[in-house]
Amino acid sequence: MTAKDLIRFARTRKGTVLSVALHVLVLGWGLFSFSARSMVAPPEDLVPVDVISEDNTSKAKAGALTGKKEVAKLLADKIGEKKPTEDIVGKVDPKPVTETDAAPTPQPKPEKPVEKKPDPPKPVEKQPDTPKPVAEKKPEPPKPAPAEKPKPEEKKPDPFNPDQIASVLNKDKPKQPPKPQQTAAATPEPPKHKSERKFDAEKMASLINQKDPTRQAVTGAELNANAALGSARGMADSNIASWSGAFQTAVRRCFGFPYNGQDADLYEADIDIPMRLDGTVAGEPRIVAVRGPSRSVAMAMAESARRAIIQCQSYSFLPKTQYESWKLIQLVFGLKDLR
Amino acid sequence: MISKFGSKVPMQSITRVSRRGFIAGAGTAALGLSAALAQAQQGRLRIDPADFKPIPIAIPPFVPGGPGDADVANGIAQVITNNLKRSGYFAPLDQAAFAERITNFDQVPQFASWKPLSVQGLLTGRATRQGDGRLKAEFRLWDVNSGQQSAAQQYVTAPEYWRRIAHIISDQIYTTLLGEKGYFDSRVVFVDESGPSDRRVKRLALMDQDGANVRYLTRGADLVLTPRFSPSSQEITYMEFGQGDPKVYLFNIETGQREIVGNFPGMSFSPRFSPDGQRIILSLQQGGNSNLFVMDLRSRTTTRLTDTPAIDTSPCYSPDGSQICFESDRGGKPQIYVMPATGGGAQRISFGEGSYSTPVWSPRGDYIAFTKQGGGQFAIGIMKTDGSGERILTSGFHNEGPTFAPNGRVLMFFRDPGGTAGPSLYTIDVSGRFEQKVPTPGYASDPAWSPLLS
Repeated sequence: MTAKDLIRFARTRKGTVLSVALHVLVLGWGLFSFSARSMVAPPEDLVPVDVISEDNTSKAKAGALTGKKEVAKLLADKIGEKKPTEDIVGKVDPKPVTETDAAPTPQPKPEKPVEKKPDPPKPVEKQPDTPKPVAEKKPEPPKPAPAEKPKPEEKKPDPFNPDQIASVLNKDKPKQPPKPQQTAAATPEPPKHKSERKFDAEKMASLINQKDPTRQAVTGAELNANAALGSARGMADSNIASWSGAFQTAVRRCFGFPYNGQDADLYEADIDIPMRLDGTVAGEPRIVAVRGPSRSVAMAMAESARRAIIQCQSYSFLPKTQYESWKLIQLVFGLKDLR
Repeated sequence: MISKFGSKVPMQSITRVSRRGFIAGAGTAALGLSAALAQAQQGRLRIDPADFKPIPIAIPPFVPGGPGDADVANGIAQVITNNLKRSGYFAPLDQAAFAERITNFDQVPQFASWKPLSVQGLLTGRATRQGDGRLKAEFRLWDVNSGQQSAAQQYVTAPEYWRRIAHIISDQIYTTLLGEKGYFDSRVVFVDESGPSDRRVKRLALMDQDGANVRYLTRGADLVLTPRFSPSSQEITYMEFGQGDPKVYLFNIETGQREIVGNFPGMSFSPRFSPDGQRIILSLQQGGNSNLFVMDLRSRTTTRLTDTPAIDTSPCYSPDGSQICFESDRGGKPQIYVMPATGGGAQRISFGEGSYSTPVWSPRGDYIAFTKQGGGQFAIGIMKTDGSGERILTSGFHNEGPTFAPNGRVLMFFRDPGGTAGPSLYTIDVSGRFEQKVPTPGYASDPAWSPLLS
C-alpha cells in the first residue's frame, strides 16, 4: 500500500479515519489520567488528633449515666456479698464480663442480690426502692426516712444513707422512671461510703470490688490511651514542621522590638544559629544580613533578636534524631503587623 | 465535664485531577513544587514579634564615687528610669526585683543572677564629684545574656547639670536598643496658666521634656498663645495680645529680647518656623478670612502663599521644607491641606467625619498629627502625609495642640477637662498605647517641643 493509497483511503473513508483518531485520543487520555491517579497517591501518615465532638460528649455523659447499670450489678453483688466477704470478691471478678454484655443481661443478675437482700437487715432499703417506682421519684427520699425512723435516727446515716443517695440519684434521673432495677442498684452504692466510715473489713472488700468495675466503665480515659504513639511507619518524627513550628513559637516568646513606624514591614534580619545537640545555642547567633530603611534600626532589631534567641534557650524539645536538620537554624526576623 | 478524646485521623493530601484539567493541573503542580523548593532553598524560618512589647531593662542606682555623691547618683538613675518608662518603649524593672546591688562600677555584674529577670539591658553607672568641683558621670550598658558591653560613656559637667547628663544617657540607651535617636535631651515651651478661670494669667514657660527645671519667660501681663520653637533652640515665636491687635512675636530665650514679626496690618497668628530656622510662616487676618504668609527673617521680606476667601491657618512645614500642611475651611468645614512651600495648588488630605485642625508634620516626615473635632469629642490623631492610615491616639473632652518629640515617636498635647479645672500636658507614643501626664507646676497648655539640645 503506497502513500497515495493511504491518502485516497483517508479521503474516501473520512468517517473511519476520524473515528480511529478520536478513539486513540480518548484511550490515550484515559491512560494518562489513570497513571496520574496512581502517581498522585500520597503516603499517608497517622497523626494523633484529639477530637471532641458532640457525639463524644454525649457518649461521655451517656457513659456516666449508663455506668449506673454496671454499678447496679456491682451493687447488687455487694449487697449479697456483705454476709460472705470472700464470696463477694469472687462474684465481682466474673461480673465485669457480664458488664460488657448488653443491657438486658444486668436484669437477671439483680434478681439474685434481691434474694440475698432479705437475709441482711438491709432489705428495708429495697422495700423503699420497690415502692419508689410506684410513687413519684421525688417523694422517694422521704420514704426511706420513715423506714429508718423505726430504727434509731442516729443510725440513718450508716445503713440508710445509701437510700438517700439512691433518692438523689433518682432525682438526677427523674426522666427515666421505667428503670426500677437501676435505681435499686443505685441505692446500694451509697453504703460503700458508709462502710468506709465504719472501717468494716467486709465492706472495704466490697468497696474495692466496686472500684474495679467503675474504672473499666469509664469510656473517656481509654480512648486516649494510645493516641500519641505516632504512625506505624514511624514517619511522624520526621515531620519537619513539628520542630520548626515549636522553635518559632519559642523564640517568638522572647522576641519583642517596639517599633511603630509605617515602614515596620520593611525591616528584616537574617540570623543563623549554630545549635548543639542538647538544644542550646553553640556560640553567638550570627547576623547574616539586615534590611530596612534605617540601618541603625535594622541592626538594633537584629541585636534584639539575637538577645531573644539566647534568652529563650535551651531548645531541648528539638528532636535529637534530626540533629542534622537543625544543626544550623536559619531565621529571618521581621516586624510584620507591628504598629 | 468533657474529657479529651483521641482518635487517629489519617492526614491525607487530597489531589484531584479532573481529566479535562489534567495538563493544566500538572503545570500548576510543577509550579507549586518549584515554589516549595525555592522556599526550602531559602530555608529561613520567619519570626515576627507576637505583639508590641516594651524592652525590659534594669537601671540600678548609680554608684556614688564619694560620700557626698549619693543623692546625685540616685537621682541620675531615677531620671533615666522615668525617661525610659515615660517613652512607652521601655519597661524599667522595679527596684525591688533587682537581682544584685551594684556597689562597684568597675566590676562586671553577676549576669547569671540577672538573666532570670529577662532584662535586655542592665545599666550600671557611677557619679563622682571631682577635685575641681565638676561632676563626672560614667555608665555602662550591658547585654545580660551575652555578658557584653553594649554602650559606655563618661561625661564631665557642672554639678547642677546632672539632670541633663541623665537625659543624654537616656538618649544613648534609646539609640543603642532601638536604633533611633532619642528625644530626652530636649525642652518644651508651653503656656503656664494660673488664677481663676475668668481671669486666667498666661505666661510663657520653658521646661525640660520631663517637666523639670521650669522657667518663666514672660510675666503674664499680656495673654500669650501658640509658642513655637525655632530649630536653633534659641528662639521662640508666639502670639501675644498686646495693646493693639494680637501679633506674632519672636523671643530670644537667652537674651529675653522680643520683636514683632513682620509689619502686617491687622491680626497675625499661628506662627511656625521653617526647618532651617530662617523663615516664619503665619496667618494674617484680612477681613472675615485669613491667609498664609511667610517672612524671611534675614531679609524681612514677606510673601503671600494663599489668597482665598476662606480661613487658612495653622501652617506647618514638612521636615525638608518643601511642603506645607495647613488647616482651611475652604471646603466648608476645617480640613487639612498640603501644598508646596512656595504656594500653589493645595490638596486636601483629611476626609474623615468632623473637622480637622492644628496639623503638625512629624520631624521624621512620616506622619501628620492633628486635632480632630466631632461628636462632642476632641481627639489627637495621626495620619500619613497623603491622608491615609488615620489613627486616633486619644479622644475625649478636650484634647488639642499636638507637638512631636524631636524623633517623631512621641507626641505631647494638652487636655482640658472643662469646668473650673484647667488644662494639663500629656505625652503619648505614636501607637497610642502609652499615655502619660507631664508634671507642671500649674495648669499648662499649648506645648511645643524643642529640637534635641545636643
